[in-house]
Amino acid sequence: MNHTALETVGLTRSFGGLIAVNNIHLNVEAGSVFGFLGPNGAGKTTTIRIVLGLIKPDRGRVMLFGQDLSSHRLSILGRVGALVETPSLYNHLTGFENLEVTRRLLGCPKENIENALEIVKLTEAAHRLVREYSLGMRQRLGLALALLNRPEILILDEPTNGLDPAGIREMRALIKQLPAQFGITVFLSSHLLSEVEQLASHVGIIHQGTLLFQGSLNELHAHQHERLVLEVDRPAVAMELLTQQGWHVQREENNRLTVSSQGRKDAAFINSLLVREGLKVFHLSRQQPSLEETFFQLTGEPTAGDPT
Amino acid sequence: MNQLLPALSSESLKLKRTLALWMVFIAPFIVILLQFFILYDRANFFAGRDAWGVLMYGVTSIWAIFMLPLFITLETALLSGLEHSGQSWKHLFAQPIPRWSVYAAKLLTVMGMILVSTVVLVLGEIGAGKLLSDLRPELRFHESPNLTMMVRMATMVYLASWILLAFHTWVSMRWKSFALAAGVGVAGTFFAVFASGARIGKFYPWLFPVNAVSTSPERMKLAILLGIIGGAIIAVVGCWNVVRRDVD
Ligand SMILES: Nc1ncnc2c1ncn2[C@@H]1O[C@H](COP(=O)(O)OP(=O)(O)OP(=O)(O)O)[C@@H](O)[C@H]1O
Ligand SMILES: [Mg+2]
Repeated sequence: MNHTALETVGLTRSFGGLIAVNNIHLNVEAGSVFGFLGPNGAGKTTTIRIVLGLIKPDRGRVMLFGQDLSSHRLSILGRVGALVETPSLYNHLTGFENLEVTRRLLGCPKENIENALEIVKLTEAAHRLVREYSLGMRQRLGLALALLNRPEILILDEPTNGLDPAGIREMRALIKQLPAQFGITVFLSSHLLSEVEQLASHVGIIHQGTLLFQGSLNELHAHQHERLVLEVDRPAVAMELLTQQGWHVQREENNRLTVSSQGRKDAAFINSLLVREGLKVFHLSRQQPSLEETFFQLTGEPTAGDPT
Repeated sequence: MNQLLPALSSESLKLKRTLALWMVFIAPFIVILLQFFILYDRANFFAGRDAWGVLMYGVTSIWAIFMLPLFITLETALLSGLEHSGQSWKHLFAQPIPRWSVYAAKLLTVMGMILVSTVVLVLGEIGAGKLLSDLRPELRFHESPNLTMMVRMATMVYLASWILLAFHTWVSMRWKSFALAAGVGVAGTFFAVFASGARIGKFYPWLFPVNAVSTSPERMKLAILLGIIGGAIIAVVGCWNVVRRDVD
């Protein structure tokens, strides 16, 4: 049974003349880890702020657990945990006290604090001032704050941003265990494709406010066109021949050509065509594009390298 | 009310280890100390007069004209500063509590803190008087202090300051800048010096606390009435304004 945890319908919001989020339809299945991927300035944070009711959309609706956010804000927020950009922490309080400040607002039992601290591995440091925390510890305490209410959906905005490689690995490991261990749906944004690949079961790609792709990771892979790499004795002739037949061909170095194709049938067809026309085929191979290339195809921008 | 109590209890925990909390005791103490030394130093000059009266009017004037308005500026700026610097608004406003309760809890916390300072001020007056009557027997402290009068004056000053409390709570929550909040408070207090002589003086909010103990009954009533009603209006409008804004 797959029901929808989070759905947005035609979400649109602009700042001045700039459309930050443009007609976004998101669909996040309960129990999934949804990676919301996009380069800087794509509109990830804006979307998340709208979903949390922190800013209002110009148009569109947010549905969580089948209820409209605008009419059921408080009951919905009681089932949501969030960490938006940098964690909201009071430096003059201890980690424990920071959690207690929010616990008093929520009215949840004290044991939730202990549990949250345990999950993010801050039990030992709980009674130290947050001022003395490392960046990684602060981020983990932010995650504990989001988990305090035992949410059904966790919304994380670039949770590994700014951490060192060890911190990133730790944070990812924490996030990864949440769906299986606690049945929490996770919606996380990132500008790192590799991070989304590691953590997510589903992905939405946003660029300049527009959602370019949405689906499972498998579907994203299927979405990609493979390429045929050819090496022939007379590349110019081969190129003309293939282009006439309607193939999309690109000239590379060393007498090589690349052809956009799909599957083994295309490969066999192209090979026999070239041989029949008297060309010598020295090399023929099929190449799967990496996700990076797919991302590049979709957005026209390369994704940043993963710092880990 | 049920929604306010959790927010208030949460606010009170945030005060731990803050300068804002210490200031609740330091601010009235400074005023008491100042007036204490004036009487101690010039005991001969005041010898013929009712020493409790001199002490009480001195303390109340310094408090109402300078210390209280600046103190309110500082406290509201410090309390909101905790949220601005911790980037906590986005967290608070994403909690399953009504947004107005976040605003109301902040306002009520500062109101409570200033009330405690007012109590400290009255206790300080009594303490300073007792100490002075031992140290400077020439001062006429023989009668017991007029407690009713002291409490009455402190209360009226406090009530008239509600408009400043509401206004500065709004300014400090609405804008991130500590300098802006402080600038507005200092300017308001500074121009009170000029406004006090002018006819509009009775309508100038930064003069309300001192007008509340004015010898003119008209000024006094106006200050307290406008202080409370103006405070209530600004509280509601300020809350409405902050709660509707984009949270960043
Ligand atoms: N409060 C605001 N006022 C004006 N413009 C804004 C505001 N918030 C966001 N924007 C603009 O909207 C666009 C989307 O911003 P957003 O923060 O949602 O991007 P993002 O995907 O989260 O980027 P990043 O990876 O840098 O965090 C950007 O061009 C940004 O400049
Ligand atoms: Mg962002």
